[in-house]
Amino acid sequence: PVATSGPPSPAGAELLRWQWREVQAPCLVAAWILVASLAKIVFHLSRKVTSVVPESCLLILLGLGLGGIVLAVAKKAEYQLEPNMFFLFLLPPIVLDSGYFMPSRLFFDNIGAILTYAVVGTLWNSFATGIALWGLHRAGLMDPGVEAGLMDFLLFGSLISAVDPVAVLAVFEEVHVNETLFIIVFGESLLNDAVTVVLYKVFNSFVELGPAHIRATDYVKGVASFFLVSLGGTAVGLLFAFLLALITRFTKRVRIIEPLFIFLLAYVAYLAAEMVSLSSILAVTFCGICCKKYVEANISQKSRTTVKYTMKTLASSSETIIFMFLGISAVDTSKWTWDTALVLGTLFFILLFRAVGVVLQTCVLNHFRLIPLDRIDQVVMSYGGLRGAVAFALVILLDREKVKAKDYFVATTIVVVFFTVIVQGLTIKPLVTWLKVKRSDHHKPTLNEELHEHAFDHILAAVEDIVGHHGYHYWRDKWEQFDKKYLSQLLMRKSAYRLRDEIWDVYYKLNIRDAISFVDQGGRVLSAAKLALPSMPSRTSMSESSVTNLLRESGSGACLDLQVIDTVRSRRDKEDAAMHHVLRGSLYKPRRRYKASYSRHFISPDNQERQDKEIFRQNMKRRLETFKSTKHNVCSSKSKARLKEKGKKKAMSNKAPNGKMHRNVPWQEAASVLVMVSSEEEESDSSETEKEDDEGIVFIARATDEVLQEKATPGSLDVCPSPCIIPPSPTLAEKELPWKGDQADLAVYVSSETTKIVPVDMQKAWNQSISSLESIASPPGVESGPQHRRFACPVLEEQPQSASQVTLEHSSCFQFPSHVPASGRSQSDSSPDGAEQQELQPLMATEEQQGRVLPTTEPRWLMFNRASHL
Amino acid sequence: LSAFSPHSPVTSEQIEHLHRRFKQLSRDQLTIRKENFDSIPDLEFNPIRGKIVHAFFDKRNLRQESDGLADEINFEDFLTIMSYFRPIEMNMDEEQLDRFRKEKLKFLFHMYDSDHDGKITLQEYRNVVEELLSGNPHLEKESARSIADGAMMEAASICVGQMGPDQVYEGITFDDFLKMWQGIDIETKMHVRFLTMETIAHCY
Repeated sequence: PVATSGPPSPAGAELLRWQWREVQAPCLVAAWILVASLAKIVFHLSRKVTSVVPESCLLILLGLGLGGIVLAVAKKAEYQLEPNMFFLFLLPPIVLDSGYFMPSRLFFDNIGAILTYAVVGTLWNSFATGIALWGLHRAGLMDPGVEAGLMDFLLFGSLISAVDPVAVLAVFEEVHVNETLFIIVFGESLLNDAVTVVLYKVFNSFVELGPAHIRATDYVKGVASFFLVSLGGTAVGLLFAFLLALITRFTKRVRIIEPLFIFLLAYVAYLAAEMVSLSSILAVTFCGICCKKYVEANISQKSRTTVKYTMKTLASSSETIIFMFLGISAVDTSKWTWDTALVLGTLFFILLFRAVGVVLQTCVLNHFRLIPLDRIDQVVMSYGGLRGAVAFALVILLDREKVKAKDYFVATTIVVVFFTVIVQGLTIKPLVTWLKVKRSDHHKPTLNEELHEHAFDHILAAVEDIVGHHGYHYWRDKWEQFDKKYLSQLLMRKSAYRLRDEIWDVYYKLNIRDAISFVDQGGRVLSAAKLALPSMPSRTSMSESSVTNLLRESGSGACLDLQVIDTVRSRRDKEDAAMHHVLRGSLYKPRRRYKASYSRHFISPDNQERQDKEIFRQNMKRRLETFKSTKHNVCSSKSKARLKEKGKKKAMSNKAPNGKMHRNVPWQEAASVLVMVSSEEEESDSSETEKEDDEGIVFIARATDEVLQEKATPGSLDVCPSPCIIPPSPTLAEKELPWKGDQADLAVYVSSETTKIVPVDMQKAWNQSISSLESIASPPGVESGPQHRRFACPVLEEQPQSASQVTLEHSSCFQFPSHVPASGRSQSDSSPDGAEQQELQPLMATEEQQGRVLPTTEPRWLMFNRASHL
Repeated sequence: LSAFSPHSPVTSEQIEHLHRRFKQLSRDQLTIRKENFDSIPDLEFNPIRGKIVHAFFDKRNLRQESDGLADEINFEDFLTIMSYFRPIEMNMDEEQLDRFRKEKLKFLFHMYDSDHDGKITLQEYRNVVEELLSGNPHLEKESARSIADGAMMEAASICVGQMGPDQVYEGITFDDFLKMWQGIDIETKMHVRFLTMETIAHCY
């Protein structure tokens, strides 16, 4: 049945139906957001434009353009910034974002100045502007159409004088003035909301009552309501912050909705405050500021990231929409009436009174402030008093019946907002540059700084105690003690509370940062590796550093371990072994990197990068050339040592890795990258430079066989002469792990000594992996006959692979058998390593295939060796 | 009372306040001993209390070219120590500011350098960090140590740059200390307001 055209018949079922009406509203919202977001992309295509013109200006202009198009098409202005939508949906995300990410220490350090400017400043601005405009009106300078009395002008003054958080944030974020200046202007714009709301409401009710009906008690009520609104709003915020922190304490099993709680409760705080007509902006601001510390400690790292991004996204899109709609709303000429005197008068007065107010207040404040605000700061503060969407929304909310001059006020507000955002927004940047305002120095936090600041706090509190003056530091100290004793224990998870310490946090963050930068560097080295060794995984896969990549990387590195013997192992063992290699490569690497850079340093401090690559290639080449022989030297020396003194093999067996290590540099560098490395590096460096752990650092003279070894590898040591740091002793597990040959001794360096600087959770992971490795029953070693037989078989398969490396140099290949007798044990030790790596590394298969053709005598040598050994 | 140190621009009113406080602490003696500081109840919770009290008796802080520890300090010394905590003034020129800054840093440096050898060694640094973190019973000594190690590393990298393997960074000298503080306005942080001081009767 096909639906006939015309009115749909109720009988026939429809395949499709046009349902625009149902989806109209959300569709329009989505469309506007999309337009705004696309516009943002377009703006940022050109760096030049955005570096000169603030985004808010561009958005307003865009709004004007779009509004003009809509007006031209629809013949009437359809869209405008609805006050309800603005206050209920657009404003909360911005305020929450600014509250949550407010640098709370800075905020509370300057709270005195912020409150003064917010309360006294706003009051002064409102009254002065209102009265001045009224005077202008009385003087007959305004159009007679402006029907307004003193109360109307005071009402207008109250809404026009408040500095707007959205506009201030949008402009100041791009200007980068110093933090103190920023926090004062921005804090003021947030906290003056209470004053604005109260004044607006009081005057509005006065206007509605009519001047004749106002009684003295109404004034008293007005003053009382100020305290009620501001303190009430703050209290609501604190209450919800407490609730929020408490809730996040118990979200351990429902990590996925952790971020939701934060947004929900903050929003509910906003709505609750709005519901009882308290200052909702204050509520959300304080909710954000106060909950952050506890919430951040409770929620997981991923939730933290989610919260951060969601909040920023919401705030940013709200801001975008607000500015765009400001532009669109301005096109609607039916709503406003122009009066030149009023507009110019308002502009002049708000600028004048803001400047006067700032100067007067600063004068007083500087008597109390420890860091006085100088002239330049005052200029920026006066000039930074931007008005924005809050004023616009408030003026739209006025009742035309009661406030006769509403249309005039709307026009004036639009002009004022546009003027401040566009003109002042455009000029503030050049002004700041011209005045040489102290910019914020974005240096990264250092550990020392954090330590000293903590020490400072304590010193200052102590001095205040000694002097007997209960000042700011005293109360801060008291608060921190209270917080530590009660609040944190109540609001934080036990695990979080335990580890929470600011110094520790900074330390942890720095470690992570270093690690990331290290990974970047590792990537650079790897690109060189790619040139030399095609079988390496590509640079891109490296940067992704997924587990499989890590496995592969370590695999490719380890395939160079020649002696490969397969054992029957479970999947779990393989995983453990792979993990072990990942850890070994990555944890150990820093020291080698340090040495590499150090050797770089020795050759020439300039041209580091180029030389790095060059050295790398040289080393690689040399290593290929001498790989075989050196390897066997090492093996022989070690196994000799073990034969000689079975029980106490510490010092002697440690010799081998020293020589070995240098040659390994390039390979290991290329091998793998893991994030935890840098902490390792710090430790190793610190131990090296400061000689803190006496037993940890032993400089030993090279034994004779190692000198020989050096001769066998001409030049490799003079490229990287490096200190030989020998840890106290390799752990037993490391020695007995079946898949470690001579290289396994390298891992000794990451023994218990070196792990201690790794952040605790990483340490845990490390320890776990170590213990899991230990739990694998390692082959008993030399003594067990059957096992050797088992090992011997796979050698047939695996040996050729090693030979394939050697095919480049035939001479070294033939050396091989002569060394085998001595190195038998270590071969059997290390072989599973390679075998397992090979399984992980399909890339190597082709090479192996080629290698198959190679000498078949070798296995026999091995067999023979084993037998004799037994 | 008039014999206060020449470079402490504290007003006479403040000095009177301080003197009253001094007498209160010393129990009307002419000098203060270490034990007198024990009577300050609020100081008890301060994790680096020992270091701070120590600084009051450190002769390096009291006058130039002297070393060692004083057993007791008189009011003049007390004022000298207090003058380290005065805020900057608007009319200071660059040179004065620089000297002012150095003085404050010197005070801090002496606090860390407990063995008076002109260097903050790793061990000294560790002690400070341990004391700083002693407020948190859950943080182990190990982590305090590793933090100190990390900080020392950082200091070494700031002050020396790339180091050779045999090179040993023995400790932070005062010059290094100055280097580390570059860009941080210590002068705007290290001060206490003596202005609105009221004698605290309720301490006793």
